[in-house]
Amino acid sequence: MADRRTILRSSKPQPRVSRRAVLKGSAAAVLGAVTLSSARGMAVGQTAPGASSGPQPKGKVIDCHAHLNHHSRATWEADDRKLIEAADKLGIDQLCCSTLTPHWPASLDGFRECNQWTAEGMQRFPGRVLGYCYVNPGYGREALEEIRRYVGDHGFMGIKLYNEYTCTEPVVFPIVELAIELGVPILHHASHSHYFVEDQPRLTDSGHLAELARRYPEAMLICAHISGGGDWEWTVKAARHAPNVFLDTSGSVTDADSVDLAVAVAGADRVVFGCDSSMTAGVGKIRGADLSAQDKAKILGGNMMRLLGRRKS
Amino acid sequence: MIIDVNAYLGHFAFRRLRHNTADSLLALMDAKKIDKAVVSSAAAITYRNAQAGNEEVADQIKGHRDRLIPFAVINPFYAGWQDDLKICHEEFGMTGLRLYPKWHNYSLSSPSCRELVRAATERGMVISIPIRVEDNRERSWLLNIPDVPLEEVVELVKAHPKSRFLLLNGLGYTGSPLGRKNNGLPSNYAIELSRLSALLANELGQLIANLGADRLMFGTGMPFNYPDPALIKVEVLDASESDKEKIRWQNAASWLRL
Repeated sequence: MADRRTILRSSKPQPRVSRRAVLKGSAAAVLGAVTLSSARGMAVGQTAPGASSGPQPKGKVIDCHAHLNHHSRATWEADDRKLIEAADKLGIDQLCCSTLTPHWPASLDGFRECNQWTAEGMQRFPGRVLGYCYVNPGYGREALEEIRRYVGDHGFMGIKLYNEYTCTEPVVFPIVELAIELGVPILHHASHSHYFVEDQPRLTDSGHLAELARRYPEAMLICAHISGGGDWEWTVKAARHAPNVFLDTSGSVTDADSVDLAVAVAGADRVVFGCDSSMTAGVGKIRGADLSAQDKAKILGGNMMRLLGRRKS
Repeated sequence: MIIDVNAYLGHFAFRRLRHNTADSLLALMDAKKIDKAVVSSAAAITYRNAQAGNEEVADQIKGHRDRLIPFAVINPFYAGWQDDLKICHEEFGMTGLRLYPKWHNYSLSSPSCRELVRAATERGMVISIPIRVEDNRERSWLLNIPDVPLEEVVELVKAHPKSRFLLLNGLGYTGSPLGRKNNGLPSNYAIELSRLSALLANELGQLIANLGADRLMFGTGMPFNYPDPALIKVEVLDASESDKEKIRWQNAASWLRL
């Protein structure tokens, strides 16, 4: 088994080390990454200057987009454990998790039991699982009460919105206003394809999020999975002029340049690391991106720490 | 050692690729400690005359034959493909094929395709089939190219037991006869890992259990893809070191007769 620190640094297999030891290394892993820019300008086989030595900033690695399993899945408990084990192997300190209903639009009872399960997951994996409160904005007052209950009373770190409504529909505005009041981010499911996605007629894209961001410049809006299958170049460019839209790198697509373009267009301060259950893809894209160690540290956890630090209660 | 059986050179019609020349790909390989890579033309996927892409690859790899192993892209419905195959094999030293049945608009069961498979097999060439080129959801407004159905691949491997097929950029094999134990199929195909999971569902581990590590090969899809996700799969894979060595390079070296 490779150790957590090594996964983010190089491809060389390493002996197993204890979790306690590797937890210390997650930020160092970022800085140890071999950058291609250095390889281009140097002799074959050399690594970046200071890749494994010198001062290394400290920081957590936080997956901004993760999910616990719905309890209708027979193997949900084992599968939740596998998620944590995968995080252990990859050097991920914390996972920001929601539990989603298996069918949409989510019913009131449906998202309520999901949030209860997320709260239980936070107790089963203390310090590792952070919670997003998932709601269907169409439930109005009940949705707002759910958010106050779980963010306010249960310590959830943010709000998860899916595809029940496009984020620019007025029904979503009270949710955004409550997120601003509480000082927590909204992770919004998003994608942009050049065709109508029939099974998601109210799908949000980064252009919608940019429009919402202009209406609510205090909001912290995370555009989910830029590598989730849509045109990531479009997604990144449409978010360029929305400084309070953050780009989540998660998704199963491992297209080269996707993370690099996000940083080039939006800046490293607006890109946040995520997996959305595509674990090696999520970590591999950051390790493979041709970015400075400092920028990778921001993406892997620094930026998310900054967002979490804006909580008002 | 690491051998990547899934790499490319040249331009792709719908997206800029970095590291798509021999020199820049080799620099990327050096940075990632990948020793050798099987390369074919990315441009030939959309060129009408795929042979022009093969010629570009042959030109690019001059002086790099020790590390870059060229495969030919052949469209069995295009005029002169038999001549192209002969030139690619005998003059360019291309030891395998990459087939794009959906991009080139033919069926794997078509007589022309079967004729190409037989001709390549007689030459001892490996026949690789990328199940997809890119995720369909990011497609251009100009086209809609589906993945190659695994059912069509099943019929192909059954019909040509003496051929050697290398399946690239695929997943979901465990839901198909291709990935099941005792599936009654000839063991004439290998599966490349760039889209297989190594954690959570762990399809890679399931395929090792069902087919054996001899049937899996390392590949990245670079420069379409970052190479690191594939590298990390092998790093975190719960398998013996001897199985990992087979996957990293030994199986590919055997198939490619390196």
